[in-house]
Amino acid sequence: MIDIPVVNYPKPWLLFWVADMLAAVYFYSALYRKWRGWSRGIKRLPTERIPWGRVVNIWLSEILGQRQLWGLSSFRWVTHLFIFWGFVALSLLSLSSFILKRLGDFGMDSGLSQFFFQREGYLFIKLWGNGFGVLLLTGLVVVGVRRLFVRPPQQSSTQIDLILISFLFWLTLSGFILEGMRLSLIPHEIARYSFFGQLFMPGGIPSREGMPPLLTTWWVLHTFSGIALFVYLPHSKLMHSILAPLVIAMNAVEEHERKDLYWPDISKHRATRLPRD
Amino acid sequence: MARHLKTQGDQIAQGLTRRQLIELGACARCGECQVWCPVYAQDKRECTTARGKLSSLRRLVEESLPEDEKREFLEGLYECSACGQCHIVCPVRINTPELWEQARLSLAQAGIPQPESLLTQLSTIKEFNNSFGKPQKERGLWATMAWEAGLLKSPLPLWRDHPTSLIYFAGCAASFEQAMQSVAVQTARLLQEAGVKFSVLGEDEPCCVSKLRRMGDPDFPLEAKKRFSQFEEMGITTVVLSCAGCFKGFHSDYSKLWPEKTRVMHLTQFLDHLIQERRLRMEHEVPLTVTYHDPCHLGRHNHIYEEPRNILRAIPGLRLVEMPRHRAFSSCCGMGGGLKVANPGIQYRMGADRIRQAESTGAEAIVTPCQTCSLGLMHGVEAAGSDMKVYHLNEMIVRSVCPEVAHEEIINAFLKAAAR
Repeated sequence: MIDIPVVNYPKPWLLFWVADMLAAVYFYSALYRKWRGWSRGIKRLPTERIPWGRVVNIWLSEILGQRQLWGLSSFRWVTHLFIFWGFVALSLLSLSSFILKRLGDFGMDSGLSQFFFQREGYLFIKLWGNGFGVLLLTGLVVVGVRRLFVRPPQQSSTQIDLILISFLFWLTLSGFILEGMRLSLIPHEIARYSFFGQLFMPGGIPSREGMPPLLTTWWVLHTFSGIALFVYLPHSKLMHSILAPLVIAMNAVEEHERKDLYWPDISKHRATRLPRD
Repeated sequence: MARHLKTQGDQIAQGLTRRQLIELGACARCGECQVWCPVYAQDKRECTTARGKLSSLRRLVEESLPEDEKREFLEGLYECSACGQCHIVCPVRINTPELWEQARLSLAQAGIPQPESLLTQLSTIKEFNNSFGKPQKERGLWATMAWEAGLLKSPLPLWRDHPTSLIYFAGCAASFEQAMQSVAVQTARLLQEAGVKFSVLGEDEPCCVSKLRRMGDPDFPLEAKKRFSQFEEMGITTVVLSCAGCFKGFHSDYSKLWPEKTRVMHLTQFLDHLIQERRLRMEHEVPLTVTYHDPCHLGRHNHIYEEPRNILRAIPGLRLVEMPRHRAFSSCCGMGGGLKVANPGIQYRMGADRIRQAESTGAEAIVTPCQTCSLGLMHGVEAAGSDMKVYHLNEMIVRSVCPEVAHEEIINAFLKAAAR
């Protein structure tokens, strides 16, 4: 059995809760305003019976697997999948850690929080967080390079794209920096499971005693950036992560099988040329 | 709710479906639509891409689109053939052709009319019951002329004299456009060769009015209802159409208003069936290498890809080669969606692009089962300065089944009749 030392440092929970609540209220009211906008449209119910089998099939292949993007460009598919799965997995990790900790505080977790934060489960969390964090960071770097330097002709880089990419990049990077600071306070044989986070460990400075205030500061930066993203989401390009699956699922009801979309050499037949063509 | 009626954005939103309004925000702006768009390929205007139009339309319903961008948006919206290529390649699968047509309708209802050229075309259709502005009594002349010229096995029965449950619906282009009348004659002759019991409507045949839907005319539902009510009263159970545009109108647009619809078949489906049943015998060799152009309204919009290819493969001596872009990726010739009316120059260039694709296969001719696409491809031949032959699919079949009604024979016979 391994025993993970708990890294304690002060966190302004009251401020967090207030900001989080306000952000949630804003987020849901923004979504409600959007819903009000959509509900101005004509309500049209499906005329045929909903083919649930097809909907599930398309949900798995087109939303989780993003097969159509694979058909169009394997490079963009890999990049988008890195960002999509990285973002989803890290969000799930943050959410489940938060819930487990709160349940643990009230003794309602049947020892799960102890398993995940102080025992073997901790290693799983570290591998999960580092693995998906690296995927997300890699995807964002590739996207940034493609947008700023490769500049394929169909790319339309407006402020809204660049702000979102920078935002996500900052959020992931600040998470790894926070992780590096935390790792400096625990033994190396445990820290090494954060295979990427340990690269961000501050080298020798500051002292063990000087670390908590820095950790608090960085925690505030990272956490409140996450809350800010929550507020920005309804106005950002990230809205497509909510609406695109919805549209894909709705249109799937009316669509036929589209196997002819997955030509291995599809990109050769575009109407306009890309630099690599 | 009353508050919503005040602004133009609200009025436009009220003309779109809820799903379409959601689609406006679902675009990931990846630009895949741009690299496939045959209109964008002509002059690289962002306003013609699906991404550009989605963004502008979203801001229009949100009342945040500047006036100069609104002009660009309208240009892009109407200079679009609604070919559906962007729908096919969109990773989010936004149903763009439906959206563009509904947006045109919604804008017209909100007081933003179609361009002048489209309005003229729409009023012609409504006034003359055809898009050529010709008297309706001339519509059935092709059938009389064909019988008198000895091109048919027997005179074509008019439904009003000899009602049948199956009718052949020729459409405006094959009825009025001289270069395309051979399509109607050949169709009638092929049906006779196969022993099909059918009739035609002659001057009672209405325009399908699908162009009203394509160009966003608010009268479409009313005009369509008149037509399918007429068919219901007549007891017609099967309609065979040789025009891809009419087929889309009957099969896809009417069906939303006409749940108990009559069986609607495109000629290629019907002939493929007759060939499989060996009722139509391909006896003469047709020594040609051809490539096949998928009309958007048949292929992408209605998934009819194999039937015309089956027919071509059944013709002895004929060799079919595919263009790099075929089936769901077939390049639009530019004739659909009102684009040709809004900007003929772009249509010619799109047609030329398609002809160049056909030339790259080494084929001697390009074949299509749509009279409108045939015209569009002929414009392309002219614009590209090519000597590529453009044939309607019927031409390939009659050369094998009944060569005496080949296109040239019909044209000559009709010219002689006109001279008399």
